[in-house]
Amino acid sequence: MSTLLTYISVNDGKLKRSSLEVLSRCNELAEEHGHQSDALIIDPNASEVAEKVKAYGPSTIYTIEDPIFKNHLNTPLLKALATAVDQVNPDVLAFASTESSKDILGALAANQNAAALADVSEFDLTNDGVKAKRPVMAAKIISSVESAGYPTILTVRSGSYDVVEKSGDSEIKEIPFSFDEGDLKITLKEIIGATGDKIDLSEAETVVAAGRGAKDEEGQKLVEELASLLNGAIGASRALTEAGIYDPSLQIGQTGKVVSPQLYIAVGISGAIQHVAGMANSKVIVAINKDPDAPIFDIADYGIVGDLYKVLPPFIEELKKIKGNS
Amino acid sequence: MKISVCIKQVPDVNAPIQIKEGRLIQDSDRNILNAYDASAVEAALVLQEEHEIDEIEVVLIGPEKAKETIRKALAMGADKGTHIITEDGISYDSFAYAQLLAAYFKENEYDYIFCGKQSQDTDSGLTGSMLAEFLSLPYSTNAVGLEMADGTLTVKRQGDAGQEVIEVPSPGLVTCSNDMNDPRIPSLKGIMQSKRKPVDTVSVSDMDIDLSDESIKTKITSYEEKPERKAGEKFEGEPDEIARKVAQLLDTEANVI
Repeated sequence: MSTLLTYISVNDGKLKRSSLEVLSRCNELAEEHGHQSDALIIDPNASEVAEKVKAYGPSTIYTIEDPIFKNHLNTPLLKALATAVDQVNPDVLAFASTESSKDILGALAANQNAAALADVSEFDLTNDGVKAKRPVMAAKIISSVESAGYPTILTVRSGSYDVVEKSGDSEIKEIPFSFDEGDLKITLKEIIGATGDKIDLSEAETVVAAGRGAKDEEGQKLVEELASLLNGAIGASRALTEAGIYDPSLQIGQTGKVVSPQLYIAVGISGAIQHVAGMANSKVIVAINKDPDAPIFDIADYGIVGDLYKVLPPFIEELKKIKGNS
Repeated sequence: MKISVCIKQVPDVNAPIQIKEGRLIQDSDRNILNAYDASAVEAALVLQEEHEIDEIEVVLIGPEKAKETIRKALAMGADKGTHIITEDGISYDSFAYAQLLAAYFKENEYDYIFCGKQSQDTDSGLTGSMLAEFLSLPYSTNAVGLEMADGTLTVKRQGDAGQEVIEVPSPGLVTCSNDMNDPRIPSLKGIMQSKRKPVDTVSVSDMDIDLSDESIKTKITSYEEKPERKAGEKFEGEPDEIARKVAQLLDTEANVI
C-alpha cells in the first residue's frame, strides 16, 4: 500500500492550521485511492504534539524528537526528513507552504532525487506521481504540472483545503534520530521580531492590511483597532514594510506572504498585481480606498470609496454594535 | 574572493499574456532580468564596494538571445559573465537547472553563490537550495539582509517566526529576496563598459548531464487563465452611511463577522 506522508508544522507547540489542511487532503486522497495517510512531526516535543494530531486521523504518526528543532535550522531538518523518508518510504511527502518548508523543499528533493512541486493550490494522484495546479506569473495564470516518480515532495498554499477532523486510532511511532551539533553547517545567531503570541498572518481567519493610504500614526491606529476588534492579523503592502512602518514579516504579496483568510480588508491599498498575488484567494474582500479607479475594487466583494480616516471610525463603531449583539 | 550570481531571463509579468490551446503566448521582446536575481546582483555589488571582492561573476542558463540579460547584469557592475547556452524553445524544470549549475560550479571556483529566491515567472523557489544540496554547501534562503565580516557572510532571512540571523560560512550559498535593496539602473558608462566585459560560453550539450525527457521530473502540461474574481458592489457617498452599510452586509450577507 502506498503512503501519503504529511509533515505537520508546529509553532511554539501549536499546530499550524495549514498543515492540517494538507493532512485532511491526504486523508481524502488515501481513502479515494486505497492508500495510507500518515503524519510526521519533527519537534522538541513531538510526542506531545502527536496527541493533538490524533484528532485528524492519520494511520501512523511518526515523531522525531530532539531539542535541536526548537528553532528552524535547515541542516538538522533535512537530515531528519531524509531519515523519515528512508523509514516510511512515502509516495508523496506533503508540506504546508511556509517559510521553513520553502527553505528545505529544493534541498530535500535534490537529496532524495525526488520531484518537487512548490506552492500548489490543488493536487491529486496519477498512476506514477502527482498532478497539481499552481499559480504562476504573479498568480495571473494557473499552470497544470505533473511529476513522475516517487517520492514526490510538494508544498501546498494555505487555504487550499478545509480542515476535516477524523476519528481513528492513530499509532505513534518514534523514529530514532541523533544530530551532532558539530555537523551544523550554518549558525543561528539570533531571531529578531519573533511574532510570539500575535496571530499568524498566513493562518488568520481575518486579515486587515494597511497600504500607503494608512501610512501615518492615525491610520495605523485605526487599522490596529479594526484588526483587534475582528480578532484578525495585521498585514501590510510593500510600500509600508519598505518604509519601515511595519515589520517585513507582515508584507502580503508575491514577495511576502500568501494569505487566504475568510475576510480580507484592504485599507488604503491600491491593488498592484504583486499585492493581489498574495491575497486574491481570500473568501471575502473588502476594499477601502479614496480613488474610485483603484484596481483593488476590481476584485473586492465590497468596495468603499472614501477616505479611510472618515470611513473606518463609523465602520468600527458599527462592527462593535454587531459583535455586541451577536 | 569571488561571488557568483545565478541569473535568469524571464518574461515580464506585467506584459500582456495570452493563452492559446494551453500554451503561454508572450512578447519575447519583453523578457527581463528576474527581479529577485537583480537584487542578488545588487547585493553582491554592494558587498564589493565595502569588502575585498575580486570578482563578481553572473551565470545564466538560457538560449542565445538571453545573452542580453547577462549584459544587463554586467552593465550594473558585475565583472564577467558565463552563459550556459540551451537550445531555443527548450525549458527545463528546477531540478535540471540546478544540475546544470552544479556541474558548472564543480569545475569552477567561487566563495559564495547568490541566487534570486525564486524566478518571477514560475515562482517555484527550488533551484537555489537544490544547487546548495548538489554542491553540499551551507545555505540560507530568502535573505532580506547581508553583512560580511572577515570574509564570512551573516544573513538575515525572513522565517516563519521572525527574522533569523544566520552565519553562512564560505563556500556557501544564499538566495535573495527583493526586499533587501533596489537594484541599480545601469548608467550609460556601465552599458558601454559591459560590452567589453568577458562572457564565457558553455554548451549544455558539452555537459555530462542527462536532460532527456525521461530524466525531467516535473512537467508543465498546460496553462489556463485564472478564473477572474468579479468586482462586487462599490459604495460611494457619505462615508458614515456607506461604512455602516458595508459592516452590516458583512454580517448579514457575507456572514464573516
